[in-house]
Amino acid sequence: MNSSWRSEIFAVFRKEVMTELRSRSGLTTGALFAFVTVVTIALATYNQRIEKNLAAALVWNAIMFSSILSLPRTFIGEEEAGTGDLLRLMARPHAVFWGKSLFNVVQALLTGIVLSVMFIIFTNIKLTVPWLYAVSLVFGCISLAGAVTICGALVCRANNRYALAAAVAVPILLPLISLGITGVRIGIGPFETDASFLGGVRAGYGLIGYAIATLVIGPPLYAAVWKS
Amino acid sequence: MLVVDSLGKRYGRRWIFRQISFSVSIGDRLAILGHNGSGKSTLLKSLAGLIPPTEGTIKLDGDSRISLGYAALEMALYPQLSVAEHLQLSADLRGVPARTDELLKRVNLEYAADYLASALSTGMKARLKLAMAIQPEPKVLLLDEPGASLDEAGRTLVQEIAEEQASRGALIVATNEPQERRLATHELVLAE
Repeated sequence: MNSSWRSEIFAVFRKEVMTELRSRSGLTTGALFAFVTVVTIALATYNQRIEKNLAAALVWNAIMFSSILSLPRTFIGEEEAGTGDLLRLMARPHAVFWGKSLFNVVQALLTGIVLSVMFIIFTNIKLTVPWLYAVSLVFGCISLAGAVTICGALVCRANNRYALAAAVAVPILLPLISLGITGVRIGIGPFETDASFLGGVRAGYGLIGYAIATLVIGPPLYAAVWKS
Repeated sequence: MLVVDSLGKRYGRRWIFRQISFSVSIGDRLAILGHNGSGKSTLLKSLAGLIPPTEGTIKLDGDSRISLGYAALEMALYPQLSVAEHLQLSADLRGVPARTDELLKRVNLEYAADYLASALSTGMKARLKLAMAIQPEPKVLLLDEPGASLDEAGRTLVQEIAEEQASRGALIVATNEPQERRLATHELVLAE
């Protein structure tokens, strides 16, 4: 990557950080949702041990919805505010996609890590394979950011963008959520057989592949709708 | 420098304009005239690459991010970014020097460098958009009703910028203002 691309990508990233820190719309919404979800689960299961399958589903549910509330704003908000034209005049689509993806990855990772730590503390869950839990969480959040960025980028110029975003997101996010739940479930443990453990490791690899795929496929897809 | 051939734009079944052909080179100042709704702004947006034309071609020398400057009243700014931050963002994305102090002085906005765009008046926003449009010293400068929100001093500024542009490239201005019309060396009238 030459310095021109790097400078463009970081200019978009810096712009996203500055506007988010000054408006706090996405972070506040996502953080509030995550906090309320974890506290609700902790209150509902007070003095009880949460079963690992349920725990994994709850963790991913909370991460997914707090991300879905905040991440698509990077593209959809741009079109709603009318500033999309400003970017189209000055930037290249790949740089815009990468800059916004980078911002979304940072935001998704922050949300996922904070939410996960809160979940572990509030529900008193013990991790059997912490590294698998961490890999599933980190690459799951990167994949989620990539996938949601693609959805936002594809629908941002459509008239009924919110309905379309949901329709596009479901088939893209379902395999990711399935892999994420498997990885986190085995990470929490205990797992019954070696086959279960290997299933968790495979889910981890799947999430790494998913993360790479979304970040590679996204730019050309976005470039196709950039000036349509 | 800029060659437009058989350009047409249609929304649904209605043609906004059709069969528009012209070319501009250094020193040319083209005024696009027409009544409200005749497609002046749509034509300028098509030239800027913001709207894909339905038919025809637009050929521009060089990278449009640098070769083209565009300012329009309806173009939005980032409410949370300051005037200086807009110019820095524009420079970083285009890969050109920011020249923030010089440009702000040129459009008489040096006192507002740290103002957020949300705190700017319509006229101040128009001056900032002008500064962003001329920042890369474009070969073709597109101005959509540049004096619409400006006071007398602002309109004089537009005239000065138009004269400066003529020495380094071409100017295309969409307008109905007699004062701006006088800036032009050529006219293109969009009929209904």
